[in-house]
Amino acid sequence: MTAILYIALKFLSIVVGGIAAGTIGSLTGLGGATVLVPLLSLFYGIPIIYATGASLVSTIATSAGSASAYTREKITNVKIGIGLEIATTAGAIVGSLTAVYINNNNYSWAIYIIFGVVLLGSLIPTVQRGKYEEPLPIKADWSTKLFQLTGSYYDKRLKKKVDYEGVRWWLAEFIMFFAGVISGLLGIGSGALKVLGMDWAMNLPMKVTTTTSNFMIGITAATGSSIYWYNGYIQVFIAAATAIGVLIGSFIGARILMKITNKNIRWIFFAILSFLGAEMLLRGLQKSRALNISLDLEVVISAIFAFIMISGLYIYTVRGVERHAKGN
Amino acid sequence: MQKEIDLDLITSYVLRTGVVVSLFFILFGTILLFVRNGGMNHTLSYLSNFSNSFDSHSIPLGGIPAGLAALDGIYYITTGLWVLIFTPISVVFIAIIDFLKDKNKLYVAMSIVVLFNLFFAMLVIPRITL
Repeated sequence: MTAILYIALKFLSIVVGGIAAGTIGSLTGLGGATVLVPLLSLFYGIPIIYATGASLVSTIATSAGSASAYTREKITNVKIGIGLEIATTAGAIVGSLTAVYINNNNYSWAIYIIFGVVLLGSLIPTVQRGKYEEPLPIKADWSTKLFQLTGSYYDKRLKKKVDYEGVRWWLAEFIMFFAGVISGLLGIGSGALKVLGMDWAMNLPMKVTTTTSNFMIGITAATGSSIYWYNGYIQVFIAAATAIGVLIGSFIGARILMKITNKNIRWIFFAILSFLGAEMLLRGLQKSRALNISLDLEVVISAIFAFIMISGLYIYTVRGVERHAKGN
Repeated sequence: MQKEIDLDLITSYVLRTGVVVSLFFILFGTILLFVRNGGMNHTLSYLSNFSNSFDSHSIPLGGIPAGLAALDGIYYITTGLWVLIFTPISVVFIAIIDFLKDKNKLYVAMSIVVLFNLFFAMLVIPRITL
């Protein structure tokens, strides 16, 4: 009986980890898996390939859950999303096969290092996102007409219909391929890269970009998940707990996001993410034997790094906004 | 305009239903695992050990109907996970129907490429050993 209780606690602790990951993921806009993989691999002692496998499956649940709301509101551009899925699904195949290869050959330290670098790298554009609501118009190019990249949505806050035209479809496809690779390799939705593809390359409005990216994440993750499944890298005990936890967490996150008026609270979570990113990087270097430090020192270095990175970004971003306000 | 409304609403319903159904299976399967102390002839303590050799390789998908009938928790969770995987895929099918109605040949072709990638990952890659 006590054994069953102990296992129940173990299961619940993963669910709680999933809830925390889902909440932080939706508050920061980076998605639950970005928090879940470091959490499971660094603090729960779960082999990283099972952590990425479970995260990939959980990503589908959160993506489908919130995409359900956004497609109803007609902000998501299903057509552009599916067109770009050609590249993300192909990328996901390459990425998950690479993950399988890396794990079968005992190079899993590489996953930690890549994860750390990607996490830290995607923090910068995410922090600065949301400064401008509508993009500056760019002249339509050949791909606008050929791939029918036009659309419109009703913006509740601006109280008007917003028309938009996408450009540089080929460039977005190119970026999306890498977003797919990262998704399959690291078990995350790689929303930051997807947003880069649609916001920066295609010049779509931020609302369309984020909701369409969210819609696409499910299809990309489904491709990766099936490869993980057939190679034996999904453990049902872990995946069941994380799917439940992350879904609950993302609902909590979305609720909090609607209520908080002081956006500065998000900086605490950005700091947690950069701490996790630095930890992953250091752990990877440890595992590859390039570095030999104690666990305590690893935590201290990561904490100092997170503090410096986030204060730097905070000062830079806040000053940028102030300068922007003065300019107007 | 009427047609477009249908597509978005159906997509929205399919996504939500998929998540709810899958969570139901996962939750029910988890409860079964605990109540029956394991599944597929493994004890719960073995299944919950992170370094065991029991993973998705050990679960034949063809065994799902029999597993569900035998109230095996592992098969319920497996069903839930695969419902989840198929949920976003079904959205691509709905989109194809819409593109066909619009006679939008380019997008019909592009959706088929996406489906090809998905089924390539499910049906072809498992047969290639790394």
